Amino acid sequence: MDYIFQGFIEALKLLISFDPEVFKIIILSLFVSTTATILASLIFIPIGIYLGLKKFRGKRIISRIIYTSMSVPSVIVGLVVAILLSRRGPLGHLDIMYTPKAMIIAQTLLVIPLILGLTYNLAKNRGTIIEKVAFTLGGNSIDSIILIIRELKVDILVNVATSFSRAISEVGAVMIVGGNIKGHTRVITTTISMMNSMGDYPMAIALGIILLIISFGINSFIYSYSQED
Amino acid sequence: MELYIENLHKKYDDKTILDIPRLKIQEGKITGITGLNGSGKSTLLNIIGGIDKEFEGSIRYNGKLLNKEIATNMTYVFQKPYLFRRKVYDNIAYPLKLRKVNKDRIEKAVQEILERLEITDLVNKKGHKLSGGESQKVALARALIFEPKLLLLDEPTSNIDPESIKVLEREIVRFNKETNGTVLIVTHNLNQAKRICDDIIYLSFGRVGN
Amino acid sequence: MKKVFLTVLSLLLVLSMLVGCTKANKEPIILSTTTSTQDSGLLDFLLPIFTEDTGIEVKTVAVGTGKALQMGRDGEADILLVHAKSDELTFVDEGHGTERHDVMYNDYILVGPADDTLGLKAQFPNDIVGGLKAISENGAIFVSRGDDSGTHKKELSIWKVAEIEPKGDWYLSAGAGMGEVLRIASEKQGYTISDRATYLSQKDNLDLEIIIEGDNNLFNQYGIIPVNPDKNDNINHEGAMEFMNWMISEKGQALIKEFGVEEFGQSLFTPNAN
Repeated sequence: MDYIFQGFIEALKLLISFDPEVFKIIILSLFVSTTATILASLIFIPIGIYLGLKKFRGKRIISRIIYTSMSVPSVIVGLVVAILLSRRGPLGHLDIMYTPKAMIIAQTLLVIPLILGLTYNLAKNRGTIIEKVAFTLGGNSIDSIILIIRELKVDILVNVATSFSRAISEVGAVMIVGGNIKGHTRVITTTISMMNSMGDYPMAIALGIILLIISFGINSFIYSYSQED
Repeated sequence: MELYIENLHKKYDDKTILDIPRLKIQEGKITGITGLNGSGKSTLLNIIGGIDKEFEGSIRYNGKLLNKEIATNMTYVFQKPYLFRRKVYDNIAYPLKLRKVNKDRIEKAVQEILERLEITDLVNKKGHKLSGGESQKVALARALIFEPKLLLLDEPTSNIDPESIKVLEREIVRFNKETNGTVLIVTHNLNQAKRICDDIIYLSFGRVGN
Repeated sequence: MKKVFLTVLSLLLVLSMLVGCTKANKEPIILSTTTSTQDSGLLDFLLPIFTEDTGIEVKTVAVGTGKALQMGRDGEADILLVHAKSDELTFVDEGHGTERHDVMYNDYILVGPADDTLGLKAQFPNDIVGGLKAISENGAIFVSRGDDSGTHKKELSIWKVAEIEPKGDWYLSAGAGMGEVLRIASEKQGYTISDRATYLSQKDNLDLEIIIEGDNNLFNQYGIIPVNPDKNDNINHEGAMEFMNWMISEKGQALIKEFGVEEFGQSLFTPNAN
């Protein structure tokens, strides 16, 4: 039992002393997941709103596909990206396997269904009425999209935070396409997983604490906004 | 704005919702549409308002089919109005901002309409935090501020207090008299229809009755 | 639909109980071992035969040697099969294990890109120290396990012999198992030190060739250690002893020698229990 307590003490020491290795890992985690979330959001929030509002044939099938892919396991996403990016794969010439770029690609693909599905749902349930109001007050379709984004900005932000939370806490995809290389592609989750298999707990605990703080921060943000109605 | 409806049919799963061979709504009058629940009142209003586009037949607004210019000259206040999650001021100013009216004139117009509807004290409240009666008044103010040629109202006074009803009815009538704007009100309250309407259309199972 | 689902579910439950029952003659043992024995397929080959002989089921936890020894210290495993001789001797000296026996050895190889840009194969066919020196001097990519495993410790010990501190952009510490490290080396077209068994079992999927082999520094001894049963009541010492004795018996040793011959044309592990 001693090693647990010892692990905590060592973990706190690492954090308080701003251990460069620990902080490099944290910064890479934040960088990869933030970039992936922003990329996915910029492209797929407008698409989600558009699909949610638009009436078209096969909308039910599209909804089903989006909702189903929201729960694709991260290892599957990692596997697919690895197959595409490996030297023998169709995109092997890019030579980005086992780099942060590959990790960003994998996490972007991972959160796209999530951000698309959440936005789609939001637009479908709450956007239609806003679109109608914009129309009855003399607005065109661009006016109504602007109005929807402005009216639902808090909910959209909550969706973005939810997607980021999924990205930063996943381990499967970044482990596979990043390779957990020290100083290059090592992020919080892959380090924790590795440290555990090495039986070396202090750094795992230190990073675990940071990950908890990040998730806790995001979720309390989401909670406080979803309460404010 | 004058409305002329011809051969209007609307079906849902083989069930006829509306069947109106010919109906004229006169310019500059307040016309009430009344009838039982499910008689097609709101559907008719949605079709006229350009929100429901799935129907057969034609509706002519001053002789023309619905186009962009007509759309910007009419408005529709829903039974449960949606107000923006911003200040009442911004809610009411929105149609004028869309029309690129300058800021001074917007301020003046908003102030005037707030006074008329007796809601000057709400100006800084958030739109989504108002009571039912307050919301209806703000929604009406937002509709009246750009002086539409055609005003569509779906049950504007259901479930609100008598004091607010009085104000709303007064301002609807005043709008009609002062601007000669055409008003169409869906209401299940026959007394209200008699109080403020020049004409009353009675709908029964999607058909115009007496 | 629900009915079908429930039927299938209950069938699965019954089946899994049946499967469990057939082998539950004796208490199972937990074997903590290194990823190399698992990845090479040796355990998949040996364990079913052992279970058939003795009725003891073996649950394998394949981790790095560091973690394996830690599991032994914490009393979470019944027996260890690892390869870090000096650590193992300390482990027994400190009373965590009851005894230690040599079981077998395998050898390590330096693998690298087929075109071998540094020409190591020609210059140092069986001189690992010379090879590592050339790699570090030229800054060629070298992928290290970096996971505190036996292989990692072995690699570090050779750098030490070469009097080089491996550090820099060219030295990638993966913190991963052998299979993953070989894949990274293949993708990055770098060099790495691997056990022969894992390399041979995966070489069809890799763009890597054997560059250096046969150096004395590259041999690797496996030891087997039953965990001290005084640690807690859950340790199955009897089963552990039976497994140890089977592994160093004539039959166990013969099977180890046989493993890999059919597939690779050579033994992957050389038995040397005495």
